[in-house]
Amino acid sequence: MTPRPPRAAPGPGVVDRLRVALLRFLRLLLSQVSTGRFESAAAVTCGAVLAVSSLLFFVAAFADVLGQGNDGLILLGLGVMAVLLGILVTHGSRFPDRLTVPRLFGSVAVGAAATVLVLMVAHLATGSVHSLDVAFLEAAATVTGTNASTVDPETLGAGVLVVRAVGQWVAGAALIVILVRVLPHMGVGGLDADGGVATRSARRLSPRSGATVGRLLLLYCLVSAVIGVGYVVAGMPLSDSMLHAASTVSPGGFSPQKASLGGYGSAGIEWVAIVGMLIGGTSLPLMFLALRRRDPHRFLRSFEFRIYLMIIGLVTLAVLAWAESWPTATSLRQALFAAVSAASTTGFVTGDPSVLPGGVSPLLLLTAVIGGMSASVAGGFKVVRLMALVAFIRRELRRAIHPTAIEALRLGRSSIGEVAVGRIVGELLAAMLLVIPASVALAGGGLDIESSFSLTFSSLASYGPVFGAAASGVQLPSLGAVGHVVAGSMMLLGRIGVVPVLVSVMVMAEPAARHLRPRQRVGDER
Amino acid sequence: MIGRIRATPVRVSGAALVFVAVGMAASALVDVFEGGEAVGALVASALVTGGVGAAMLAGSGVSTRSDASIAFASVAWAWLAVAVAGALPFLLGGVVPWASADDALFESISGFTCTGSTVLADLAAVPRGILFFRSMTQWFGGMGLIVLAVAVLPALKVGGLELVASEAPGPTADRLTPRVTETARRLWILYGSVTVIVTVALLVVGMGPFDAVTHSFTTLATGGYSPHPDSVAHFDSIAVEGVLIVAMIYCGANFSVHWHAATSGPGAYRRVSEVRWYLALLGGGFLAMVLLNVGESSLTQNLRDSLFYAVSLGTSTGFGTSDYILWGPAAQIVLILLMLVGGMTGSTTGGIKVLRLQLIVRYAVREVIRARHPRAVSPMRVGDMVVAEQVAARAIGFVLLYLGVTVAGGVLVTALGVDPVTGFSGAISAIGNDGPALGEAGPLSNFLVFPRAARAVLMGLMLFGRLELFPTLLMFAAATRALGRARHDIRRGRPQ
Repeated sequence: MTPRPPRAAPGPGVVDRLRVALLRFLRLLLSQVSTGRFESAAAVTCGAVLAVSSLLFFVAAFADVLGQGNDGLILLGLGVMAVLLGILVTHGSRFPDRLTVPRLFGSVAVGAAATVLVLMVAHLATGSVHSLDVAFLEAAATVTGTNASTVDPETLGAGVLVVRAVGQWVAGAALIVILVRVLPHMGVGGLDADGGVATRSARRLSPRSGATVGRLLLLYCLVSAVIGVGYVVAGMPLSDSMLHAASTVSPGGFSPQKASLGGYGSAGIEWVAIVGMLIGGTSLPLMFLALRRRDPHRFLRSFEFRIYLMIIGLVTLAVLAWAESWPTATSLRQALFAAVSAASTTGFVTGDPSVLPGGVSPLLLLTAVIGGMSASVAGGFKVVRLMALVAFIRRELRRAIHPTAIEALRLGRSSIGEVAVGRIVGELLAAMLLVIPASVALAGGGLDIESSFSLTFSSLASYGPVFGAAASGVQLPSLGAVGHVVAGSMMLLGRIGVVPVLVSVMVMAEPAARHLRPRQRVGDER
Repeated sequence: MIGRIRATPVRVSGAALVFVAVGMAASALVDVFEGGEAVGALVASALVTGGVGAAMLAGSGVSTRSDASIAFASVAWAWLAVAVAGALPFLLGGVVPWASADDALFESISGFTCTGSTVLADLAAVPRGILFFRSMTQWFGGMGLIVLAVAVLPALKVGGLELVASEAPGPTADRLTPRVTETARRLWILYGSVTVIVTVALLVVGMGPFDAVTHSFTTLATGGYSPHPDSVAHFDSIAVEGVLIVAMIYCGANFSVHWHAATSGPGAYRRVSEVRWYLALLGGGFLAMVLLNVGESSLTQNLRDSLFYAVSLGTSTGFGTSDYILWGPAAQIVLILLMLVGGMTGSTTGGIKVLRLQLIVRYAVREVIRARHPRAVSPMRVGDMVVAEQVAARAIGFVLLYLGVTVAGGVLVTALGVDPVTGFSGAISAIGNDGPALGEAGPLSNFLVFPRAARAVLMGLMLFGRLELFPTLLMFAAATRALGRARHDIRRGRPQ
């Protein structure tokens, strides 16, 4: 008979283990701070966020003073605080020598969270919103470039308007940096969920990623300036032009007008916006190469760009077909505007979305869910990923007849690997699993079925407009804390990606989980 | 002498038509005892259908070549043929005018696909024999379906359904041809026995013989047709609802597992992970609806309605006891989830199926783990079984195609003139073979709220959903190839 192995005394309880974990963390923090630098990529990211935010607040304070608003001093104070905090964090921390991919995920997520937090403080401090949940929704909409808001922009001061619109523009610029500097390193992770297709073109621009970032940011600034000038020429006031240019190219969609661009009633302004939004949804590296080599045919040679244009064209035709009268120049422009606004996930509107014909609203929402091109600053699922999914489904259909056939997945002239398709499908499925619970939560907050689903999809796609009873915008402010938090979270999950957020949570929870895991007892079988 | 056409789809369709003709004749017999208003129409329909079916059967042989595409085409064409034939009694009986022949086709397709959506506004005016035939279309559809779901589709590896064979061992055909007859025989014995048991149970709780038989037909097939315009609400009986709930839960589960449990004991249910997920989904849906409906009605009524609808729509049956359109929007969204997923594989239910939901969840979790540990080898498991990558890809491909077709159908139906909630829920209901939808097409309404063109789209969706998409899509490919081959043979002067 095998003797029973001796058992160790029972281990410490959960509270004790938590206490020990906290003490260890504090000891590590103190030891690193005492040596001068705290080694953390997340802290460095937070420092960068604070530095950029301070600049935004200074610009906003200046604009507020020019616009004779009441928030100038508050914004100035926020800017100073952000600078001081940024200096403190940046000097007290340093980028680790070796950074694992999951830690990189964590840094991106923490950076986004820090930005949301800073913008929440700005909204609350200026009094533009009065509760945490609404501040969270507004901040998430700014960071993710979503045109969903609970406040009437016409009641806001110039400073807050700048924080909102330029905040969306800065978020777009940050996305370019992430696209070039961060995503390629995550090729084996999950944020680069199209398997490098999005970043491949960007990597070809320059051997050094720093130079690539510089070139793309320069292009981003130039396009913004051109669109701003276009708005002025079309008859928009200068201040509005700057704000609209920022939220057109980003493509965020915030407007100082309650009726969005429709408030101006100008065909010229709408045409400028159409061009700006189209650019916002286009791949920046593709645009850069086409402009630098003066080769406009490069656009047409891009399979993804052709599909992007085809989607816009089809949606425009469908919107025109639903109109009750024969197409006119005005209806054509408005249909094209709605299609481009959805495809680029900008969210600008020219009329009341609640009076759209029945079939138009789901079609626009579907277009927004597909989103813009990869390597663009637009939201949505991205055209290239849709193409990959279509190729995947076609292959499975063919395999139904020829089960043993081996067939590579092709996107135009290039092929895409199985792992990359797996990541695309995984991201899509993870997002899909969130849709029903989110819609139930929003419906529980008082929205009707159509509004709940459209707000969920619109938030995930960083689009903004909501259809159904909430289309008039009356119901969003009274949605309730749960609804606001859910909508804001959907925006962040849609922009960052569900898988990266989950990985970040896992990474952050792992040390605690390690400490909480019961220790193996002596004699237990392995 | 004219030779036989060597085309399996024609032969299978002929056999199915003869089968349906027998059903029409049986319905005529019932009509004799129930007033005899439609005896002529049913007999005429039986003669036409039987004649065409017999001619097709006699004039055709099995294809010289046998592959997956022929099997797909046989299944899809047979379903289409019986659906067209099933429209005859409605037209000849004067229930639907000839000018609205598409509505008769809608009713027939809805029957044979076990959907349960109706365009008959006044069921009280429909002859009893035709109502009996209407229920029988679903029962026949169910008979075909269980063989299709348990044996044919898994053997053809449609949408990852070969998992059914591994996950739920039973009378599943490993190879299509030699065992399918034996499989069908066993499944039909089980199907017929349960029909009798449900009929007796319904009689015991107070239903009349006609209602008991018609309701047991449509319960077994998870179809949901009722001879009464207010469906099961007509009886207002907790006992009737209780019997139907138990029967629907049983029929929403895998018949292969049922056979296994019947032969080797109830332990068979415990071994199948899909059963646990299925019951958890129904239970979770029920609890969610109870919570979300608090305050909408009394607690007893809330519990009763929530349980009935969780089961009725969770098994894609579609019986109604009250108007859930009056519920809060959050509870109705839970219903949409249940309609989308449907019941277990190997059953007569529609929807994506619980097994594929398991796969979706596992796939998403696996991708998160892969993102965290890029070099980790993490096999995907369903229950105790490791799922091969190709099988998972087929299942995921099916789900993506299913959702894509649903969204496209929803946009199209909405574009044709209904509100988005009615349009999209109508598309979800049609492709999931559920029956009722949301908005204007609730459980106590009918599908006449959809414009005529939209009803045509919904008919297509019903067929797509019933045949698990792939066969319907590949049917056209196979038909085109078969026609091309026949033309080639005729040109060369080969005997058919």
